[in-house]
Amino acid sequence: MSNVAEARSLSKWYGEVIGLNNFSIDVPKGITGIVGPNGAGKSTFFKLLTGNIRTNVGHLRVLGEEPWQNPGLLARIGFCPDYDFLPPELKGREYLRFVAGLHGMERDRATARAKEVLDIVSMTRDADRPMGGYSKGMRQRIKIAGALIHEPQLLLLDEPLTGTDPLIRKEIIDLVKDLNKVHGHDVIVSSHVLHEIERMTHQVALIFKGRSVASGDISEIRQLMSDHPHNIVLEGRGLIALAQELLTKTYTTSIEMRPDRLGMFVRVDRPEGFFDSLPDLVARTGCELERVESLDDDLESVFRYLVG
Amino acid sequence: MSLNLIGLRTVATFSARKLLMNRRWALVVMLGALIALVMGYAATEDGANMHFASDLMAMLLLAFLLPVLSLIYGASLIRNEMDDRSIVQVITAPLDRRMSYLGYYLGLVMVLCVLISLVTAVGGLAFLAFSPERDGGVQLVLTFIALQCLGVLVYSALFLLLGTVLKQPIYLGLFYIFIWEGFVASVPGSIGEFTVRYQLQSVASELTDLGFVSSMPGNGALAALALLLVTAALLGAGAFSLRKKEIS
Repeated sequence: MSNVAEARSLSKWYGEVIGLNNFSIDVPKGITGIVGPNGAGKSTFFKLLTGNIRTNVGHLRVLGEEPWQNPGLLARIGFCPDYDFLPPELKGREYLRFVAGLHGMERDRATARAKEVLDIVSMTRDADRPMGGYSKGMRQRIKIAGALIHEPQLLLLDEPLTGTDPLIRKEIIDLVKDLNKVHGHDVIVSSHVLHEIERMTHQVALIFKGRSVASGDISEIRQLMSDHPHNIVLEGRGLIALAQELLTKTYTTSIEMRPDRLGMFVRVDRPEGFFDSLPDLVARTGCELERVESLDDDLESVFRYLVG
Repeated sequence: MSLNLIGLRTVATFSARKLLMNRRWALVVMLGALIALVMGYAATEDGANMHFASDLMAMLLLAFLLPVLSLIYGASLIRNEMDDRSIVQVITAPLDRRMSYLGYYLGLVMVLCVLISLVTAVGGLAFLAFSPERDGGVQLVLTFIALQCLGVLVYSALFLLLGTVLKQPIYLGLFYIFIWEGFVASVPGSIGEFTVRYQLQSVASELTDLGFVSSMPGNGALAALALLLVTAALLGAGAFSLRKKEIS
């Protein structure tokens, strides 16, 4: 089995709201990042993978099995949802023993395994405090520990970086990489921030409005994104000369000058070409740039382009 | 259905712990104090005897406390976990949802039996403390504890089911308690027999010679069997609905 999950023409709707729409994906072993803006269908995909909900149309296999009404499969999957559900009155260690109990572990084994996973997520020191007093980062780590307690083959992490500060984010990114490299878990991790996923893996799938718009190696995705026509705004003085130079370049599609001549919108089909040549053009034309900004750097605009 | 008995035990004990640690304790203490007050006061009245105590217990405990506490605890157990999404731990564990449901039910029954037994004991002792007549009092209290534990089995199964299938189970639960169990049970004719309260009173007629319950018509053993069958049917329906339910 080369893929840990396979979806074919999957659709899931909630009343009149579509969660996933004709969604197909192959998730290989290793770490796979699922990237998409909020409401794209990432969480719906995770709920389908864990069998919390069932598909309306299409086929889904996780570790070679159909997930709906398949509790046996859940022994091989660890799930860390994006929302907070930890009972505040429980201590971290108690919570892990509870989860271990749900997985059928005897008390001694549960205690020993809780110790191990607390060590993996670096929470040993705070394990005997009520979880109500945990920081966001601690809560994320204890949730990951809960997902790891039964040594699952596949780990599903839904938006594990949401709401964390940069330091905690780095720790969790390193932890996710270790979970694959050191501990051998296959991981599917979601985020709405591409560069965060990029720091964990090169294997990425982009989801937008319930559809898989691209998947594969991050460099291929980056190429697709680079081919995406970009709208760039430039402001400053002496822009007419710069515009004349830009119009001779093959990457320039169109230029729209503002009436005050102090700003212009440039549409390019190869943004790297534009940004690489810009310093030279500025020096040659003697213009004084005060602002250069790509209006299309947000992920959502890229998704819109990829969807067509 | 896979038998993950440790998982079943974990769900049961965790649910019981969750219910016991809930702030509803205050309500139980208040109801217990109210019942103790009423029973203690009633014991000081002229003519207070064990028949009177039995009637009081049938009215205060069997007809009121038992269904109300079962509704408050039962309807909210799974419903609250679905609403705050903490049920995710249970439904993503390798435990058949029917087993999970049974675990919830066992936890609920354990807690309700303990709470109702405590309140019944406190109320009964309050009556006995002030009553001039005490013969058979302890036996009467034990009889009502046993009856209520039987009632807990049925009501828990009913209200747990309501909490699983309905988003607002309290309204239907209150309607059931006060209209069906409260009003219909006291309507003359055979329709009253289709209430849990009536069947519990029939069982009581086999266990005690005190109060109006002792003269209830019907076969006590048959009534107990009917209650157990209804419990099993409700449990089956609840387990089936949880298994089929999409939980997002």
